[in-house]
Amino acid sequence: MNNPFREDLVSRNLAEACSVVIFGATGDLTHRKLIPALYNLAIDGELPAGVKILGFARRDWSDEFFCEGLEDSNRKVSRTGHDEEIWESIAANIEYHKSEFQDKDGYKRLSDRLDEIDRERGGKGNRLFYIASAPEYFDDILLNLKEAGLSQERPHCDGCWSRVIVEKPFGTTLETAQHLNEVVNGTFEEKDTYRIDHYLGKETAQNILVLRFANAIFEPMWNKEHIDHIQITCAEHLGMEGGRGGYYDEAGALRDMVQNHLLQLLSLVAMEPPTDLTADGVRDEKVKVIRSLRQWDTPELVAENVVRGQYVAGNINGKEVPGYRDEDRVKSDSETEAYVALRCMVDTWRWSGVPFYVRVGKRLPKKATEISVHFKETPSVLFNAMPGGVPTGNVLVIRIQPDEGISLMINSKLPGTTLRMEAVKMDFHYASSFGKSSPEAYERLLLDAMAGDATLFARRDEVEEAWRFIDKIHKAWADSAEQLPIAEFPAGSWGPWEADELLAKDGRTWRRL
Amino acid sequence: MSMLNSTENLGIPVEIGAIDGELKKLWEAGDASTNASLMNFLVYTEDPSRLQENSQTIQELTRENACRAVLIAMNRKATDVKVESWITAHCHLAHGKKSICSEQVSFLLHGKSLGRLRNTVFAHLNSDLPLVFWWQGEFSELFEERLYRLLNRLIFDSSDWADPKIGFRRLLEARSDTKGGMVTQDLSWTRSYFYRLAVARLFDDPMAHKAFPEIEGVRIKAQSKHRIAALLMLAWVITRSGWSVQCQETDRVILESLEGSEVVVDLIWDDEGAPISELEMSAPNFKARISREAGNSHLCQSICAENHVADFSGPADDDDSAGLVASQLSRGGKNSLFLNVLPQFMELLEGGD
Repeated sequence: MNNPFREDLVSRNLAEACSVVIFGATGDLTHRKLIPALYNLAIDGELPAGVKILGFARRDWSDEFFCEGLEDSNRKVSRTGHDEEIWESIAANIEYHKSEFQDKDGYKRLSDRLDEIDRERGGKGNRLFYIASAPEYFDDILLNLKEAGLSQERPHCDGCWSRVIVEKPFGTTLETAQHLNEVVNGTFEEKDTYRIDHYLGKETAQNILVLRFANAIFEPMWNKEHIDHIQITCAEHLGMEGGRGGYYDEAGALRDMVQNHLLQLLSLVAMEPPTDLTADGVRDEKVKVIRSLRQWDTPELVAENVVRGQYVAGNINGKEVPGYRDEDRVKSDSETEAYVALRCMVDTWRWSGVPFYVRVGKRLPKKATEISVHFKETPSVLFNAMPGGVPTGNVLVIRIQPDEGISLMINSKLPGTTLRMEAVKMDFHYASSFGKSSPEAYERLLLDAMAGDATLFARRDEVEEAWRFIDKIHKAWADSAEQLPIAEFPAGSWGPWEADELLAKDGRTWRRL
Repeated sequence: MSMLNSTENLGIPVEIGAIDGELKKLWEAGDASTNASLMNFLVYTEDPSRLQENSQTIQELTRENACRAVLIAMNRKATDVKVESWITAHCHLAHGKKSICSEQVSFLLHGKSLGRLRNTVFAHLNSDLPLVFWWQGEFSELFEERLYRLLNRLIFDSSDWADPKIGFRRLLEARSDTKGGMVTQDLSWTRSYFYRLAVARLFDDPMAHKAFPEIEGVRIKAQSKHRIAALLMLAWVITRSGWSVQCQETDRVILESLEGSEVVVDLIWDDEGAPISELEMSAPNFKARISREAGNSHLCQSICAENHVADFSGPADDDDSAGLVASQLSRGGKNSLFLNVLPQFMELLEGGD
C-alpha cells in the first residue's frame, strides 16, 4: 500500500527514506555540496524522514569531528543560511565510518551497521551509495560493495532498493569508461545506477526542454531551415587555484568539460521531442544526438574542426596571473589543453549543415556558461536590401550560469525620421523575475536519486558514445602532435586567434559575452 | 485630504487620469533599476485603514514576486463619491547588484458607485499578465461575476469570515460560474501546508505505515480563530485515508476507517498556541505527533512505536497573511488538492453545529 498522504501532495516522484553512504566523505564535495544540499532539502521540507547519512573515508575521524566539520562548512556555503534546529535534526543522523576503500572488513562493518539502522527504523532498508572518492578507488568500492552483499536485492525486504551515484570523471577514455560501466553494471543494475552530471541539475539546463517543447513559437523554427548555427560557451576566469592543477593537467578541457557537461547541453538543445518525460524517453533522444555527431577521426579533420590551447601569463580583473605551465601542480612541459574549441556537426535530418561551435577554457575574461542559437538572416529584400542591411540575425541566448535566464536579440527601428535599425535585447532573468533562489543542482539530483528518477543522470550509452567522439580527437592529438600544435593565448583574453579562425572560415564570429 | 492617518507608504499622490504618465516618469527618473512584472497582483479591502499595511506587505512580497501591484481600498460608508490615488515603486537589490522594481498603484474609493471596483481593476492592469486577486475580508456584493470571471487566481482568508458557511457557498457559486477556470486559494488551507507535508513524511516511515490501518484517534489543536484551518486539515486527513464521517458533534467527529473500525477525532481550541499547534494520530502502541510552539518557525515531528522512536524537525507555515500569500505565489499550480478536499470539508462545516 502506498502512503495515502503522499498522493497529490507533490507533483514529482516521491523521494524515499534511505541511508545515504558517501564514499570519500572527508572531501570537498561532501562538505561544500552534498551535505548543504541535504540540509537545504530539509529546510524546504523535501528530505524524507529517516534519512541517515554515513560518511565512509580513510581518515581517523570521530563522528563528532566529522559532524563539526560539516557544520562549519554548511554555515559558510548553505544557500539558505544555517538554522541550528534543523541542523541538529540532521546532525543526529550523521555518522562517520572509518575504513580503507580496499578493506573488506570495513564493508562488512558497514553492512552490519546498515542492517542495524534498518532494524532501528523498523523495516524498509533503502540504501543510496554516493561514490565521491578519487576515481582510482571507484573499482575497489564497487567490487567491495558487491562482495559485502550491499548492492543486491535483499530477501525479506520487498520493494527495498540499493542505488549508486557515481561522480565524474566517469572514465578517462572510452576503454576506461566501458570498464567502469562493466564494474558498475556488474554490481548494480543499470536502473539503479546514477551517473551524475551536475549541469543537468541546473535550473536553466532543465528549462531547455521547457523552452523548446512548452512554447509553440520555438519548435517549428528549431531546425536547419531557420537556424544558422549554435554556439555553446563555458568560460572560466579561474585557473588552477586550490590544487586542482594535478587533476586538470591529467584530464584537460576536452575530457573534463566537453565529454560530459557540454555534450549533455548540446544533446538537450539538439534532441528530437521525446515521446514522454520518463528517464529513458528523454535519454533515448539525447543519445541519438551524441551518436549522430560527425566523428573527427583523422588529424586532418581534427586540424580543420578542433582548436586546443593553453594560456600564457596575462591579467584578469587587473591582477597578474601565471601561464598554464607555471600553475601549481601543472607540469612545466605540459601538453594538456586548458582551452578547446570545436566545430561539431550533428548529422540528422533536422540539423544537416548546421554547425554547433563549442568552446571551453580556463582564464578567460569572465565566468559564463551559455548556449546561443543564431537564427538565419532575413532575405535580401526590404530592409536587408538597404545599405547596412539589418544589424544582426536574431539570437536566442540561454544563460546557464551565472545570471540564469534567456534573452532574445531582435531588430528594432531607432526613433527618428530616418529608417535606422538597431539590435535590442528582450531579456528574462531568473533572479529578477523569481526572487526565490533556485535549488542547487545537487539538491535536485539527490532528491531524484532518492525518488528513483534518472532523467537528469547520464545513461551508460550516452557516456560511452560521448567518449567515442572525444577519444578520436585525443588520438589525433597524440598521434600528430606536430601537425596539431597547442595554440597560445594571453590569460584574460577570449582564447587563441585559431579559435576565431575556426568560425571566420565559415563567415561567422564567436558571440561576445 | 485623505481620510487615512498617513499615506507615506503609498507614494506620490496622483490624479487618476494621470497615473500612466506619472508611472512612466517614475521609470524615466531611475537609472539603475529594472521594472519587472510577472503578474498583476490586486489587493482589495473594504477596510480603508488596511491600505498602508497592504503597501508594506507588497514591499515584502515583491522581494520574491515581481508584479504590477494594484491596491484598492473601498470606503463604502462615505456619502461623497470620489477617488484618491497614489503611485510608488518597491525596489530590491537582486544579488547585491541590480535594483529590481515593482510598481504599485493604490486607490481609495469613497462612496457607492455601480461597477467602480471592477472598472478600476480593469483600467490598471498590465496586459497579458495573469491577474491574481487577494480579496481581504468577507465576500461582499461587489464580488460579482463580471469581476471574478476575469481572475486567474483568487486568494482569500476564510479565517476572516464571520460566517464561513456563507463565504464558502459564495465561493462554490463563483467556481461554478467560472466553470473551474479560476484558481482558488484559501490561506486557511495554506496554513496547514507544512503540517500536511509532515504527516506524509511521518507515514513514509515503515512503522507508521504499518500502524496506519489501526489508527483509532486523531487530535487537532488550533486557535479558535483558525477553526477553518483545522477543519480543512481534518478533511484532508479523512479524504486521503478513505475514512467516512459517522457522526459529528461540535468538537468531536466519529469516523469509520476502511477496515470498519472507529476513529475518534477531537478538536481542541488553544488560543495561546500557534495557529495550528498539534496534530496527533494514535493507534495501539503507536503515536505520530506533529506540534509547534507559538512563535516557533519549526514543526516538531515524532513517531513513537514499539522499539522505535524517531524525532525530526521541519519547516512551519508562516503566521501572517503576507507570508502565506508569498508561499502561495511561489508554489503556483491549480490547487487541485484543495478542490478535492472541499466536498469533505463542506460536509464537516455544515455538520458542525
